[in-house]
Amino acid sequence: MSTNLTRRSVLQLGGLAGIALAAGCSSGPPAGTATWAMWSSSAAEKKVWEDFGKYVEKQLGVKSVATLTPSSGYPTKLDLQLVSGTASLVTALNGTLIPTYAARGAHRPLDDLIAADPDFKLDDFYETSRKISGFNGKTYAIGFDVAPTVMYYNKDLLKKQGVPLPSRTEPMSWATFRDLAKQLTKPGEQYGFTCAPAIDDLVSWIYCAGGNVMSADASRNTLGDPEAMEALQFVIDLFVKDKVTPPIKNLVTESSLSNFMQGNVAFMQNGPWQVVNARKAKFDWDIIPFPAGANGSTPRVSGSSFAIPSGVREGAELDLAWKLLKTLTSTGALDIYAKAGRNNPARLSAGSAFQPPPDNLGIVQDILAGKVAGGHAFDVTTNWNQVKQLLGQDLPRTFLGQVSVPEAINGLTPRLDVLMRQHLDTVRQATARKG
Amino acid sequence: MAISTADTAPVTTAPVPAKQAPPPRWRSREALTAWLFILPSLIGFLIFTAGPVVAAGVISLLNWNLFSAPTWAGLHNFARLGPDPTFWSALGSTAYFTLVSVPLTILVSLALALLLNQGLKRIAVFRSLLLLPYATITVAVAFVWIWLYIPHDGLVNAVLGWFGINGPAWLISDTWAMPALILMSVWKSFGFGMVVFLAGLQAIPQQLYEAGRVDGTSPWKSFRHITVPMLSPALFFVIVTSVIGSFQVFDQALIMTNGGPGTRTTTLVMYIYRTGFENYDQGYAAAQSLVLFAFIVLITAGQFLFQRKLVHYDN
Repeated sequence: MSTNLTRRSVLQLGGLAGIALAAGCSSGPPAGTATWAMWSSSAAEKKVWEDFGKYVEKQLGVKSVATLTPSSGYPTKLDLQLVSGTASLVTALNGTLIPTYAARGAHRPLDDLIAADPDFKLDDFYETSRKISGFNGKTYAIGFDVAPTVMYYNKDLLKKQGVPLPSRTEPMSWATFRDLAKQLTKPGEQYGFTCAPAIDDLVSWIYCAGGNVMSADASRNTLGDPEAMEALQFVIDLFVKDKVTPPIKNLVTESSLSNFMQGNVAFMQNGPWQVVNARKAKFDWDIIPFPAGANGSTPRVSGSSFAIPSGVREGAELDLAWKLLKTLTSTGALDIYAKAGRNNPARLSAGSAFQPPPDNLGIVQDILAGKVAGGHAFDVTTNWNQVKQLLGQDLPRTFLGQVSVPEAINGLTPRLDVLMRQHLDTVRQATARKG
Repeated sequence: MAISTADTAPVTTAPVPAKQAPPPRWRSREALTAWLFILPSLIGFLIFTAGPVVAAGVISLLNWNLFSAPTWAGLHNFARLGPDPTFWSALGSTAYFTLVSVPLTILVSLALALLLNQGLKRIAVFRSLLLLPYATITVAVAFVWIWLYIPHDGLVNAVLGWFGINGPAWLISDTWAMPALILMSVWKSFGFGMVVFLAGLQAIPQQLYEAGRVDGTSPWKSFRHITVPMLSPALFFVIVTSVIGSFQVFDQALIMTNGGPGTRTTTLVMYIYRTGFENYDQGYAAAQSLVLFAFIVLITAGQFLFQRKLVHYDN
């Protein structure tokens, strides 16, 4: 059977399709909607953000719309939304990227909003979280989680080997840690230690040795300084010389958590944000403070925050954005986050919601409060993506024994210093804009 | 004899209306129909291809970090390409990938097409099976190949082990990371060429082979003097599209090696992406993409010039 289409009916069909297309391309939720953006890479994570959404709706009495994106694609999507003016009222930011966005004017400072709001107490947030959320003397974001890197250990494996369990509060020395890792390694069968072959993990050792990636004024890279070199060499030796780590099969997919979950690795360097995943382990495990170097136990402290894009208009829109940001970082919301075990909340008043297991989870807050060991806020530049990219090219080759630590650092130094100078230029421009 | 002039006298006839000129070809009904058919594609091309190329041209002349107002940079972004070692390394890696993967893909595609053209039973089944890698998403395939390449337990090294060969740590080796990517890419893309070649082979008139047999032509000569010339348009098409595709290689390198170790497998498109969207240097990324565009245009133009001598068309 054939059907004859007249020109009019074709035009009508075309018109209907056009209307449907236009409806599909509408400009987003109506004004007055509490829109926010967050990364989410699992069903469990999604559930937490859905609960956040319900909490927001209950507290603010407006509709909450969360744009959830897998963490790997989140920065790119956020960039495009910021540029196209379609970003949410509040956006989540990883602490390492706050200076990047702030320096480029992508997000607005919050100091005026904080000063005008007597109900908001910034003191209730850990100092490190406040440091991570600031740039150039201004507050650009409010933290929702913050935590130091710790050492996970497989209790069953240590007991099986007859090794006494380490102190729950006193960090062991690097030398002790190395001996233990060697003692617990049976090549091809069992390993003493695992960490990611990347700067994010290396930096904790560098801080503990008293070094840093950059000088205090960020005018030059300091990876070649003796303290940093000592730390780098120590970790690389664990991989290449002592061979106490599982063999690296692929630099992209290498995962310390996945190695640890196999049950044949004694120690894993990671943050409390992995507690939720480690709870699936089929063995008994716990956490202890990070091993102490010459500078003590001062591993990386990192966190994430919520911020308001610069494109949010003054008036009702900004009022709603600020209320939303306060709600998303309120004790009630962070209780939901911490109870789900996602990570240590950035607010002191929400701390009690981050509960064991593991037994020794309390050290996370003790470390942040300075009662046990210590921590070091993750120092980053306004071009941290580039720094990380450069370090990600050459440093992993040292873990494979393809180049020595001095060779890698010597090769990196001129390019790193160029990036440091670019960072200083960006800071100067941001300061001039502010003035 | 009087000569009548009636026949030669100018004949004055009633004015005939001038014959109406046909409408220009572009306004004919057929032409309008044709335009209507190509319009959706044309609109898509203008919006998603031509538009961005023009935009890239403009952006390449600016300093733009996405968030602040762009400032004029002139040709500075192009001047930055010269002393940038990562750009040249990425260009070299991309050229290496193209120079090895394209000939290999064509050889494998052609060999399989020739095999399938031998009057095999259930040819449709084989054709579909062999086309599967091409029809599968690159990201999924890349993850499978990561497993295949695992140094000790991976299938590739296990197979090599049967022959007493101690396989390398493919994806983390300075030497073997790029060949590993190339091998995976050849496996992923041979299906497309195979289908095009098979269609080309099936369109070659059998009389030509019969005539060759009558003249006592050997199979090799038959292939060399009948198959290759008759298949040359298909070969040309596959070479052009494969070269363009290879210069744009991105996803498998991103997933399998993230450009490493070092910058061994950092391709040009990967570097452009990082420059633009991780380093927020849109002007420089646009300049790089225009250089890549120019490379592809030049190489493709060269191929079109070359094909006049080598490609045989029936008409």
